[in-house]
Amino acid sequence: MTLLNRGRLLTIVGLVLLGAVYVRALAFTPTEASQGLAQKIFYIHVPAAVWAETSMILIGIASAFFLFLKDPRLDRFAEASAQVGTVFAAVVLTTGPIWGKPIWGTWWTWDARLTLTLLLFFIYVGYLVLRGAITEPGLRARYSAVLGICGLVLVPFIHFSVLLFRTLHPQPVILKPSAPSLPAVMLTTWLFSFCVFTLLYIGFVTQTYALLLRREAGPPAHG
Amino acid sequence: MAETIPQNGGYMVAAYIVAAVILVGYALSLYRRSR
Repeated sequence: MTLLNRGRLLTIVGLVLLGAVYVRALAFTPTEASQGLAQKIFYIHVPAAVWAETSMILIGIASAFFLFLKDPRLDRFAEASAQVGTVFAAVVLTTGPIWGKPIWGTWWTWDARLTLTLLLFFIYVGYLVLRGAITEPGLRARYSAVLGICGLVLVPFIHFSVLLFRTLHPQPVILKPSAPSLPAVMLTTWLFSFCVFTLLYIGFVTQTYALLLRREAGPPAHG
Repeated sequence: MAETIPQNGGYMVAAYIVAAVILVGYALSLYRRSR
């Protein structure tokens, strides 16, 4: 099975399981009393946010290693991860305001967590624009590696922004030093959703990586 | 008196649809690029 087909298979399984996450979240997970049904946005918003940030961490690590090793696979992985990270950041930045409106009474506020997440999205977009603007492969890989490392530096500030600044955004309920502060049934649904988003990340990155590899190899010869 | 649960299911439905559209849309774009 080719790399592209493996990625495609993982993506299809991930999308089917995303449907199962929706069913479990809606039908088999209790509704939180103070926030109502809007709280169930948590099951897609938070896993997408974790992978939007993790994707940038992986880009930064791959970029740092690329600057030393000059291995094109690292650069190719970073580009694939940037495309997928942009998609997950878009999910975060759309589902977040939809959750915020009924709970906070506003779609958006310029507090630290929200603003830094928007900045992360702009770094992703800037990274992809930079790659599209430079035609020389070596120069493109070096410049984008530097931007990838800058993105990596941003991620801890996003995660700890709710602790460092006064913000409307809730404190972490899962990724924190103490045990998750969620009922077991809600935690199980969240973990299921997180596994599905992980599968989607791997499937998307594998497909994107295979397509980048094909693009570098050039068009297939005919005749 | 029991506290009433807020009626905001429409927001949840909207968020779930938006997330699905983005993720399925990206999967379809990859499929198109691979052809």
